[in-house]
Amino acid sequence: MKGRCLFLRRRFVPYLESGISPREAERLEEHLAGCRECGEFFTRLRAGHQAGRQFGRVGPEIGQPPPDFEELRADIGATLDRRGLPVRSGRNILHPLTTPLAVRALIALALALPVLLVLSNRMTLWRAGDRAAVSSNTRESRDFTSLRIKDFSSNTRSPVVTEGFVRDVYFDQEEKTLHIKLVDVRQKAEPFVICEILSPGGMAIPREGSHVRVYGMARYDSQPGRGWHEVNPVMNIDVLKH
Amino acid sequence: MTLRALPLEGEQRIVLAAQRGDEEAFRELYQAYREPIWILINALIGDSLQAQDVLQNVFFKAFRGLGGFRFRSGLLTWIYRIAHNECRNHLRKRSVPVIPLEAILGSRDEIDRARIPDPSEARKAALRDAVMQLPFKMREVIVLKYVEDLSYKEMSRILGCPPGTVASRLNRALAELESRLRPFRELL
Repeated sequence: MKGRCLFLRRRFVPYLESGISPREAERLEEHLAGCRECGEFFTRLRAGHQAGRQFGRVGPEIGQPPPDFEELRADIGATLDRRGLPVRSGRNILHPLTTPLAVRALIALALALPVLLVLSNRMTLWRAGDRAAVSSNTRESRDFTSLRIKDFSSNTRSPVVTEGFVRDVYFDQEEKTLHIKLVDVRQKAEPFVICEILSPGGMAIPREGSHVRVYGMARYDSQPGRGWHEVNPVMNIDVLKH
Repeated sequence: MTLRALPLEGEQRIVLAAQRGDEEAFRELYQAYREPIWILINALIGDSLQAQDVLQNVFFKAFRGLGGFRFRSGLLTWIYRIAHNECRNHLRKRSVPVIPLEAILGSRDEIDRARIPDPSEARKAALRDAVMQLPFKMREVIVLKYVEDLSYKEMSRILGCPPGTVASRLNRALAELESRLRPFRELL
């Protein structure tokens, strides 16, 4: 099966749900008319999709309703008892911060922190070629593949580090994440990558027009209405010039 | 079926209270999310008694791990991911044998000859059994898509794989479902 067939087959279900653009639908229909294998697969998939929708209406068989909160709490207490684990009377057994495991984890972290700080203190090294080490002022010490924005479409490696100019900064209300549109050339809208920051509070956000270096995982967002390359999640941003 | 999460501001308020150990907040979260998680677990496990054990484990781990929740996704997505892991682990231990659809419903000839008092019940049974007999990964993606009505992006966060992989897995699941239901097409 050709790569194009594989890519288009992933759009069959969105097509059946009218979740693709008219232009994309037209291209897909042209392909189905000309590719026998995809045409046959599409027929099977359409029947499967209808069965899936019927199943969605019917739902799985459920013998009884879920327990209420008091029953759940009692069951958890009984399980801890059976396993010989302490159930503290007068204290919430569901409390997330006071479990023996949490206390042990905090002690282990306090002991390990000085060791981790010593190990992570090393110099920045940029080697020739397409592999680079991350500098000591970044958050994680691992090798990142250096990548131009225009080369994202042919990239198969991750994590990556790329450079570009901030063209747009916006907050995605649906996903509650910060997005930065990064372009290769300041005056041009393309090529671009979208850099997605999951925890905006923990990172310095560059201004529009800044020249930055971005570290993170390379991905492709194939959702309807998107279809772009991403650095997601962003692990760090170095501002080279404001 | 479309299942709704709590509004984001309300959810944040309740989660922060639960992180401080407020038992009433735990109760609110459980009341809000037990139904969709119960449906998912039943669909993946196929047995209500065992599903109850798994549900208990899921919410125990969710509540105990709530201190580490950083609002990078919705809370329901996060709990779905715990449920996915618990169901997978449970089924690995249980090692379920596969029973052919015909052994449950009878052969096509037997169905033709038998008196089916309620054809709609037979349709439901055929659909449910066909889905329940799918391999775990295929069954799960069918349930998340068609019962829980999740997007590819939400499913990719729960399953820990890219949206493209989710799409491919869904395609394989639907093709397999079609194959299994083909002999019963007239019934459906």
